[in-house]
Amino acid sequence: MSLLTRLLERNLRNSGAGARRLYSNHAEEESSATKHEFADEEFRVLNLRSTSQATQQKRKVFKKEPVQPPRHQKMATDQDWSAVWPGPRTFQPSVVPLPLRQGYTEKGAPPPSKFANAELMKIPNFLHLTPPAIRQQCEALKKFCTPWPKGLETLENCEKRFPIEIKSTDYCHALPTIRNPEARRVTLNIKLSDLKFDAHAKDKFLRLVGDRYNPNTGILTIVADRCPLRKQNYDYAMYLLTACYHESFVTESWESSKSEADMEYYSFERNKSKQSAEAIINWGQPVEEAKKLNADHGFAQSVEQLINEGENVYNLGKYKEEVLKLLNISK
Amino acid sequence: MLGRHSFKLPRLTNMCVAYSTAAAEASVEQLYNRPKLTSTDYRTAENNTKQHSAVHEGKFYTLSPEQKKQLFSGGGLPRQYEQQIKTFTEACLMVRPTSLELLNYIRNTDFTRPVVRYVLYGENGVGKTLTMAHVLHYGLQNNFVLVHVPWVPNWMKRPKETVNATTQEGFIDLPFDAAAWLVHFKTQNANLLTQLQLKTSKDYVWTKREATPAGSTLLELVEHGIARIKFASETIAALLSELKQHANDDKCKIMVAIDGFNAFFHPETRILGDNKQRITPDRVTLTQPFLDITNYNWKNGVCVLTVDKIGMTEGYMDSYLPRYLLGKEGFEHLDPFVPLHVDNYSDKEFASCIQYYLDRNWIQKTPEGFDEQLKYLSNKNPYTLMRLTRSL
Repeated sequence: MSLLTRLLERNLRNSGAGARRLYSNHAEEESSATKHEFADEEFRVLNLRSTSQATQQKRKVFKKEPVQPPRHQKMATDQDWSAVWPGPRTFQPSVVPLPLRQGYTEKGAPPPSKFANAELMKIPNFLHLTPPAIRQQCEALKKFCTPWPKGLETLENCEKRFPIEIKSTDYCHALPTIRNPEARRVTLNIKLSDLKFDAHAKDKFLRLVGDRYNPNTGILTIVADRCPLRKQNYDYAMYLLTACYHESFVTESWESSKSEADMEYYSFERNKSKQSAEAIINWGQPVEEAKKLNADHGFAQSVEQLINEGENVYNLGKYKEEVLKLLNISK
Repeated sequence: MLGRHSFKLPRLTNMCVAYSTAAAEASVEQLYNRPKLTSTDYRTAENNTKQHSAVHEGKFYTLSPEQKKQLFSGGGLPRQYEQQIKTFTEACLMVRPTSLELLNYIRNTDFTRPVVRYVLYGENGVGKTLTMAHVLHYGLQNNFVLVHVPWVPNWMKRPKETVNATTQEGFIDLPFDAAAWLVHFKTQNANLLTQLQLKTSKDYVWTKREATPAGSTLLELVEHGIARIKFASETIAALLSELKQHANDDKCKIMVAIDGFNAFFHPETRILGDNKQRITPDRVTLTQPFLDITNYNWKNGVCVLTVDKIGMTEGYMDSYLPRYLLGKEGFEHLDPFVPLHVDNYSDKEFASCIQYYLDRNWIQKTPEGFDEQLKYLSNKNPYTLMRLTRSL
């Protein structure tokens, strides 16, 4: 480009007259403004662009701040650590005055130091829960506490006197609103053994609560979150428990139509096994209700166990023993 | 010969490879150094099953060819075992502890009481069918009328022919299988039935012209069923109810032995109905008579049934335990029954079996420790042991 410009300029100079026509007006003004600069130079620069020099911004030179030495070097040995690290926070190598090392290296090399160490940042730390910090917080909370009620010293006592356990969560955060929608959720726990039932009521109650009852732990859990406020949800959970409990004692007319297939467990009394076992025992006897022999309790139990617990070698062995006894077969 | 040895044995196990390469030289002589066999260790001359007791446990007794022919010509022994019998030129059965237990129960049975149902169960290949064979032999020797079904799943899985039943609406008839069973029944019981002279109690009218009048012998009834295959299933129903009645009248004793009994309670068969749908076993005309005769409502009888995993189809073979295989219905039908577990060989039985195989020259290579290897390889399972020793 510059070569072309020079050639052109030289030609222009030679031809003298045609030169003015080639320059644009703008360029003419500019060249007149900077005339004195180029006066003593052999070549002048031809600027074909219409943009002014002023609009062309100079590229900023990025100046790097000098890196401060790690903060922990300035820390006093008797400083208040809980002020330095007041809450949960990702690991910060410049703040923690400990020569920590963590991570995998080839054999023989020491683990990487704490600076720029992702391994240390990944793991959760408990630097905000040092014993002095906890002590400090406990001290601060103490003035809000009341003495522990008498008679509730042991856990068994607590569970006995307060069988219902209510769980809810408070959320604390620095936002324009202090409300958290999750705080309305109320969980009610109660051990089923703390409620008094008869056989029918228990069966019905379990059907009403469905999968809210955990048969492994024996705990019923009701979670209420449909109302906007915690108080409302608490009332609703208590209402559910009360309503289910009392409803379970109501016997509807259609409940008598429950058939064998609807039963939750096998009962010897209502099954064909009892009929056949008793028919065999009473074989050849005149049919008299009063004199009828009943099947052995042990046999009944073994059949129930075999079917309710499922088949295994032990249950089958027990069943065999009871059958031999029932049928009076000598080995 | 050494080359053949080292070629053949490595197929068994890696241990065997190590052995045959390292100690091959030393073992050449041992190969033919056959252990001295004392036939009383593994055989018993006691062929009367009534006398079998704990003394004979684990020993082999011989079934005479005539009796074998009478009992099992219509099936009843596993096919592999049949082949082995042919190879060994003798039919030997081991006296297993389960069959001893069962025979003991049968001997002590009070025949004025309702029939007791014994259910044999166990893993594949432990000898349920052969235990039943032993008991059947006992039945034959002690004048039981044998009602023996060799393998029920044959009816439910691969019947020869299916026909819509004429008398029962919606039922399926298996005329060929029914006739084959009648033949089997006849071969097993012809002698005894001619002795007993059991008569039919009522008229059986098959068609306008054909009828079996009351007072004809059961053999005539059976022969009619064989000759007129069309009525074979109904004949079986009639025969079994007649037998049951005679037993109730103390005229005979009956041993019911049904192998693969759980097939009667399988959720479905492979038989296609009219609309090309698989039918359930209770829609087969043969099912009901055999369920009737395994009921408890008669006396002078004994029922020995086996439940078998391989009688089921895919998806129903998770367990070998009787409640699972019989299902709810089957369990209710049989309850109370005596479950009898057939187990793998004990050490004593295993040793006896190995000696018997050596005696029959079934095992010819006897390098040191071969029986230990076989024990680990077969897990003392009789069937696995039989398969493993084929190549030795």
